[in-house]
Amino acid sequence: MKYVFDLEKSGKALRLNRFLHDLIHEDRRKQFLENPEEAMKDLSSEEKDMVKRLDWKALQDYGASFFCLEKLARTKGVSNPQMVAAFRGETLEAFLKTRRVPGAR
Amino acid sequence: MARIIGGIGTSHVPTIGMAFDKAKHEDPDWKPLFKGYEPVAKWLAEKKPDVLFFCFNDHATTFFFDHYPTFALGVSAEYRIADEGVGSRKIPNLQGHAGLSRHIAGSLVDDEFDLAIFQDLPLDHGLHSPLTLMWPSKPDWPGRVVPLVVNVLQHPLPKPKRCFALGKAIRKAIESYPEDLKVAMVGTGGLSHQMIGERAGFNNEKWDLEFLDLIDRDPERLAAMTIQDFAERGGNEGAEVIMWLIMRGALAPTARKVHQNYYLPMTTAMAVALFE
Repeated sequence: MKYVFDLEKSGKALRLNRFLHDLIHEDRRKQFLENPEEAMKDLSSEEKDMVKRLDWKALQDYGASFFCLEKLARTKGVSNPQMVAAFRGETLEAFLKTRRVPGAR
Repeated sequence: MARIIGGIGTSHVPTIGMAFDKAKHEDPDWKPLFKGYEPVAKWLAEKKPDVLFFCFNDHATTFFFDHYPTFALGVSAEYRIADEGVGSRKIPNLQGHAGLSRHIAGSLVDDEFDLAIFQDLPLDHGLHSPLTLMWPSKPDWPGRVVPLVVNVLQHPLPKPKRCFALGKAIRKAIESYPEDLKVAMVGTGGLSHQMIGERAGFNNEKWDLEFLDLIDRDPERLAAMTIQDFAERGGNEGAEVIMWLIMRGALAPTARKVHQNYYLPMTTAMAVALFE
């Protein structure tokens, strides 16, 4: 099994996942959208960089939980098919061509 | 005495709830999904269970990895709808059955299932995305819920065999509650999907249909499988179908599947099945 979210990953990426998880709070989302540097002040420069670029694959490889990444995606208006396409290393359009009902999203 | 009148297995994909909230019932892309839930909604409307016992997982919404329980039982009289990043869904708060929950907690611990207990926490789409297709939310829910939250996110996950055994212990717990209540079990999750890695977008319809057959005919065989077996066949995230085993374990040995629907439009195979 690859890409298992286990205790090692969870431990390594706890700070990053906590930041992502906190986006369930409206005030944290507002702060992140209006003043991202302040909202990300507890993150390392590597973590900030991945979040700023919305580099889904890099965030995942670093140890971000998919379910915490979903909170960032919702805050930035990114859909799950867009994230899945990024993990596969293809465009959304290319990914949707592999789906049975591309409109169901 | 309380009794279990049947069970439901269902996907809990967030887009199911989104399609409902956007009233896409007649949209050709979504109609096959909505149609598949109609017999389940009809069964619930006719049988009128007082309580739905929900086996589901939180999606790092209410529970975070600073303290992530393997099994956590809700014991509140009411549960708010969680904000998962875009504000809460506009559906009524869920009514809990605190008395039944407390009784189940005691009975399970007595049976050596030492679960975590939570109260006054909001619940995410793992419970209410399928619920809205089965139970009317207006003007208010027709009954109460008892939520059991299962860790299917952070490995090590509970063994499938343990989930099945937990279901049996839940049956014993519910059937020893003195009040006359009709309870329906709901097991959520799956079917095949993988959201991460280069295998993201993976599905396995052949396995999904085999799972839907075995959960009816031979759940013991599913319970004997490992988490890795489930992940290889149904994708990393698809291993969450172990929560169906809790539901199945709580049903009478004579229970049989009377309806199923399978729809695979995008990244997750969406299934619903009814047992009585």
